[in-house]
Amino acid sequence: MPAVVARPSPTVRMLQLRRSAAAPARLWRRSLRLRTVVITVVLSAVALAAVGGVISYSIARGLFTDRLNQELTVSARATVAAQSVLNGATSTDQTALENLQLAAIQQVHDAATPSGIAWLRSPGQVDPLALPVATSPDGADQVVTEQIRQAVESSGTQQYQSVALTATNGQLHPGVVVGDVLQLGGTQYELYLIYDLQDVQSTLDFVQRTLLIGGLVLLLLIGAVTTAVVTMVITPLKQAAKVSEELAAGRLEQRIPERGEDVVATLARSFNRMADGLQRQITQLANLSRVQQRFVSDVSHELRTPLTTIRLASDVLYDARDRVDAPTARSAELLRDQVQRFEALLADLLEISRMDAQAADVAGEPTNLVDLVRESIESLDGLARDTGTPVELVAPGGHVEIEVDPRRIARIVRNLLANAIEHGEARPVVVTVDSSERAVGIGVRDHGAGMPAADAERVFDRFWRADPSRQRRIGGTGLGLAISLEDALLHRGTLEVWSRTGDGTNFVLTLPRGPLDSAAPGPVPLVPADARSQTRDEAPVAVPERAGVGS
Amino acid sequence: MAQRILVVDDDTALAEMVGIVLRADGFEPVLCPDGAKALAAFRAAKPDLVLLDLMLPGSDGIEVCRQIRGESGVPIIMLTAKSDTADVVNGLESGADDYIVKPFDPKELVARIRTRLRPTQAVSGQRLRIGDLTVDAAGHEVLRGEQPIQLTPLEFDLLHTLASKPHQVFTREMLLEQVWGYRYKADTRLVNVHVQRLRAKVEVDPENPRIVTTVRGVGYRAGAAV
Ligand SMILES: Nc1ncnc2c1ncn2[C@@H]1O[C@H](COP(=O)(O)OP(=O)(O)OP(=O)(O)O)[C@@H](O)[C@H]1O
Ligand SMILES: [Mg+2]
Repeated sequence: MPAVVARPSPTVRMLQLRRSAAAPARLWRRSLRLRTVVITVVLSAVALAAVGGVISYSIARGLFTDRLNQELTVSARATVAAQSVLNGATSTDQTALENLQLAAIQQVHDAATPSGIAWLRSPGQVDPLALPVATSPDGADQVVTEQIRQAVESSGTQQYQSVALTATNGQLHPGVVVGDVLQLGGTQYELYLIYDLQDVQSTLDFVQRTLLIGGLVLLLLIGAVTTAVVTMVITPLKQAAKVSEELAAGRLEQRIPERGEDVVATLARSFNRMADGLQRQITQLANLSRVQQRFVSDVSHELRTPLTTIRLASDVLYDARDRVDAPTARSAELLRDQVQRFEALLADLLEISRMDAQAADVAGEPTNLVDLVRESIESLDGLARDTGTPVELVAPGGHVEIEVDPRRIARIVRNLLANAIEHGEARPVVVTVDSSERAVGIGVRDHGAGMPAADAERVFDRFWRADPSRQRRIGGTGLGLAISLEDALLHRGTLEVWSRTGDGTNFVLTLPRGPLDSAAPGPVPLVPADARSQTRDEAPVAVPERAGVGS
Repeated sequence: MAQRILVVDDDTALAEMVGIVLRADGFEPVLCPDGAKALAAFRAAKPDLVLLDLMLPGSDGIEVCRQIRGESGVPIIMLTAKSDTADVVNGLESGADDYIVKPFDPKELVARIRTRLRPTQAVSGQRLRIGDLTVDAAGHEVLRGEQPIQLTPLEFDLLHTLASKPHQVFTREMLLEQVWGYRYKADTRLVNVHVQRLRAKVEVDPENPRIVTTVRGVGYRAGAAV
C-alpha cells in the first residue's frame, strides 16, 4: 500500500525557514536585555582575550629566557670543565685520547644535565690524531643544524638555537641547542649540549589553561552580572511602558509602583504625576462633554414641545386661510413657512451640537447603497419635478450590503441631491454609485453654474452660503454640508467636492466597506470624466480637511 | 360615534392644541395634564387610543404606559422629544405601539392614529392556523387549543399578518408598512420590540420560538424555521 506522505511544499518550507530565521532576529530587535548582555559579553571576551594573550606571551617569554640563561651559564661552565680536562692531555695515543674525551664528557655531565650531547669535529681539520665524533644518545646530533655550526665555527664562542626535539614517545618537545668550541692540540672540536624544555612548556601550558578557565569564568560572571543589572534597570522601564499602554487604552487609574529614592523611583513618581494630571484633564473633559450632552438633550426637549404647539397652530391657521381675509391668510402662510424653517434649523443645530459633543451614535446595519440612493432620489421627486430637473442614477457597482447608518447616509445623499437640484439650473443631475474592493462611492454631479475655487473650499463651513440673498426653494441654513461631512467622518468616510464655474459641481462621498478598510482611494472619481477631457485651465479641486470647530 | 382619544401631556398648550387638531379631524379628545392622574382618567374616559408624553414629570410616561397596558390592550402612541435614546425602546418595551417625535406634522399624527384605530382587515372569516395556535380574524381571538391568549390589537395585527402568508418571509420594512402603516423607511426597532413582546405571549418557550421565527438577515416568518 503506498504511504501517503505529507510533505510541505517548497514555498511552505521556505516560509518556515524564513520564520525560524526571523524569530531570533525579532528577539534581538525586541529584547534590550538580550542585546545589552550579548554586546557586553562579546566586548568583554575580546578584552579578556587581548589581556590574556599579552599575559601568557610575557610569561612564556620570561620562563623561556630564564631557563635559557640558566642553561647557557651551565653549558659555559661545562665547556670550561671539559676544556680543562683536554688541556691536561699528555699522550697522543688514540686510546688515551678516547679516555680523555670520556673524562671530558663526564665533566660535562657533572656540570650540566643536557638531554643530549654531540661532540663534533670542526670541518677542515686534518690532524690524524683526532677525537672521534661522539653523540649521546645516538643521533643526538640530528638537531644540530648547519646554521648553528657555522655560527659556532665562525665566532668560536658560545651560540644557541631553539629547536624541536622528538621525544622517545614521538612527541615534539621544545628544546635548545647550546654550542661551543673545544681545543685539543691544534684541533678544534665543537661541543653541542641539547636541552629539553618540555617542563617549561608544561608550566606554560598550565598557566595558559588557568588563564583560559579564569577568563571563561570571568566572562560568565560578567554575563550574569550584566543580566542582573539590566534586569534591575529594565524592569521599571518595562512596567512604565506597560502602564503607559494601559493609560493609552483608557484605563486611567493605572499607576507605576514607587519604590525607593533613586532615579527610577523619580521616573515612576513623575510618570504617576503626569498620569494624575492626564486623568484629571480627561475626567474634566468627559464631564464637560456630559454636561454639554445633557444640555443638548434638555434644550432639545424644552424647545421641541413649544415648537410642536406652534407648528400645530400654524398648520391649523394655514388650513383655514381661505376663510379669512388676504393679509391674515398671507400671515398664516408666512408663519407656517418660517416655522418649518425654524424647525429645520433647530434639528440641524441639535444634530451638529450632538456631533460636537461626540454623542452621535452610528446605528450601523447592512445597507444596500444603491437602494438607499434610489429611495433618496424618490423622496426628492417633488423638488426635481418642480424645478424640471432630470435626475439619473448610474450604478455600475455598489450592489452590496455594507454596514452603515442608513439614516445618516440617506441624509447626506438627500442634501447633496437637494443642493444639486437647487443649483443645477434644471440641467440633468447624475448620481453615480460604484464600489471597489475596499470602498463604496456615491457621486452627485450637476451641470449648473458651479463655484469658483474659493467658494468650493468653503462649502463645508457652518452657515456658509455662496449667496445668502438668493431665492431658495428649500431650507437654506448652510448647515447641510457641515452635517454631511460630519456624518461621512462618523463612518470613517470622506466627502469631497469638485467644482468649476460654468461646468457644474461634483460631490463624492466615499465610505470604507469593512471596518479595516479605508475610504481612499474611492471608486468614484472626484473630477468628472466630461470635465477631465477638456483641457481648459486646470480644474480647481478642493479637498476639505475636517471643517468647523471642535475638530 | 366619534372615537375618544386620551391625551396625556403636562404641557397644557400642546395638549390643547393637539385636542384642537384631533377635534378638527372628527375625534373626541380627553385631556389629562397630570401623569399621576392618567390611570384614573383612562378608567373614566375609556378611550379608543392614548397619546402619551414620554417625559411626563412625576410619574413618568413609561410607568403610565405600563399601568395602562396592565389593564387594557388599547393602542398607545408615545410623544417624544428624542428619537435616538433608550427612552424610546423603553417606552416600546413597556407596551407602547408606536411613537411620534416632536415636533410633528399634524397630518402625520392623524395618520398614525387612524392606522392604529383601523380594524384588522379580516377579509376572510376563516380561521388561520399557525403552529399550535388558531387565529380567528373575525372573532379577533387567538387560541391555543381552547385557551384564549390575550393580545393587544397591534400584536394581533402582527400575528395575523404573519399567519396570513405562512410561507412568506416578511422583512422588517414590509411589517412596518403593513402593520404600522409606514410608507417610508422607519424605525425597525418598532418591529423588533413588538416581536419580542408577541413571542413572550404566544411562544411556549420564548427563548426558542416556534410561532414567530427569525430569518437571519431578512426578517420574520410564521411557523417553524425551514
Ligand atoms: N451643487 C452645488 N452647486 C453650487 N453651489 C453649491 C452646491 N452645493 C452647495 N453649494 C453651495 O454651498 C452652500 C452650502 O450648502 P449647504 O448644503 O451646506 O447649505 P444649504 O444648502 O444652503 O442649506 P441646508 O442644506 O442646510 O438647507 C450652498 O448655500 C451653496 O452656496
Ligand atoms: Mg443643502
